[in-house]
Amino acid sequence: MLDVGRHPNIELLAYSEVEKVEGEAGDFRITVRRKARYVDEDKCTGCGACKEKCPTIVPDAFNRGLGQRKAIYSWFAQGIPSTHTIDPQYCRQLNGKKCGVCKKGCKADAINFDQKERIIELEVASIIVATGYDIFDPALIHEYQYGKIANVVTAIEFERLLSASGPTGGHLDRPSDRAIEAEIEELEKKAAKSQKVIGKFEEQHGESSAEFYTRYEKGEFKGDEEREKWAERYKEHLAIVEPLEALKKRAEGFSAAKRLAFIQCVGSRDARFYPFCSGYCCMHSIKEAIIAHEHGSETTSTIFGMDIRAVGKGFEEYKVRGGNNSNIRYARGRVAEIIEGPDNNPIVVYEDTRERKVKEEEFDLVILATACAPNSGVKQLAEILDIEIDRFGFYKTSANQPLDTSRPGIFVCGCAHGPMDIPESVAQASSAAARAVQIVTASEKLRKAS
Amino acid sequence: MSRDILVIGGGIAGIQSSLDLAEMGFKVHLVERLPSIGGKMAQLDKTFPTNDCAI
Repeated sequence: MLDVGRHPNIELLAYSEVEKVEGEAGDFRITVRRKARYVDEDKCTGCGACKEKCPTIVPDAFNRGLGQRKAIYSWFAQGIPSTHTIDPQYCRQLNGKKCGVCKKGCKADAINFDQKERIIELEVASIIVATGYDIFDPALIHEYQYGKIANVVTAIEFERLLSASGPTGGHLDRPSDRAIEAEIEELEKKAAKSQKVIGKFEEQHGESSAEFYTRYEKGEFKGDEEREKWAERYKEHLAIVEPLEALKKRAEGFSAAKRLAFIQCVGSRDARFYPFCSGYCCMHSIKEAIIAHEHGSETTSTIFGMDIRAVGKGFEEYKVRGGNNSNIRYARGRVAEIIEGPDNNPIVVYEDTRERKVKEEEFDLVILATACAPNSGVKQLAEILDIEIDRFGFYKTSANQPLDTSRPGIFVCGCAHGPMDIPESVAQASSAAARAVQIVTASEKLRKAS
Repeated sequence: MSRDILVIGGGIAGIQSSLDLAEMGFKVHLVERLPSIGGKMAQLDKTFPTNDCAI
């Protein structure tokens, strides 16, 4: 990624979208819309002083909403370019409120609330489409209760939980536990506030609120307005502190997730959604289970699937090694449903096809190996590029020219073409680069001849 | 006529295409919808099979 940022032959147009494509192979004219970041790309050093000052906290999309970021942000810590961006949906200043704190905090004077989007024109000989994929929304499979049971997450959310630069700093904290910890924090703030209020009464009357309250309950201080107010405030304080103590007690028992279940083919090989095999999910789940085991040697993983498709160089060995060294159990069977048990533990209901029995098993965390779905922007871009898409929504190609789209001079690679893993995406990308060059040389030859 | 090439999408595939073309001496315009390149791969903690860091 770094190389892209500093290669003299690459013009990086991030936070931009292709608007219009005219012309033909060898001679395309492209219109690109550069969206307004409200930060000057030439001035921003990426130091992050602005986001430290920003008062607006929003869910972090890069961390799939598991963490938080500010209204001015970098997409992720090591992102290229490191230019920060203001989110116009949340920024106070851009929504007519008085703020501008980031501008004051920026030593490079890079913040520009008046920045407008820019339209630029390019002339190119050929185009490579590498727009990737989207993660299948598992909430569509109601029986898995994604979004309803906190401890059912997607494979990519699990990646963020595993990551040292992720929202948990690489600890396998369960989402339900993190929600309770956030609630405790919130209640502690409230408790400190109400403690201040009743503290004033205590000081004034030289008595603890608890002692006063027992006397008050007995019927003393009737008609004493001041003390009635005190009693009222004390009751409010108890209404905060009592649930807080209960939550704190619960939180004492929290530990990292140790019993993991991976569910394969969530949206793939499913006639209701995508009939195809997404290809990479089996190895992805095995890899995640191995990494989780590296995080804590007592971690056990069960991978539920119709079959484990370890097709590729070294894949089968990796699978076997995971089973032998990383406490992975492969359970053959499709999961029928996930329900929530005690302590927010998900319970997986599945058929063990080897024993021909329906079983239930409790886990700490369930990870869904979601399908590779076509990118949501495919239709719009296909119209702009005037190329065809297939019945699922990937760009259409033919078997003997797998990188050529329906329009000459436009090529596709990676998951925009169909589900594939990283090595295959890289190989396709290099092939697409070669095809793109062929257009340049062919049109040059043609020009020389004429 | 231009010898430039447009790459749409800055994930692992778009990055690889761009670097290959740039190394071959072609001028590349890499368009990415999001504020930074990296795509889905940047969200991965480690990558198979070497368990190396994705970024």
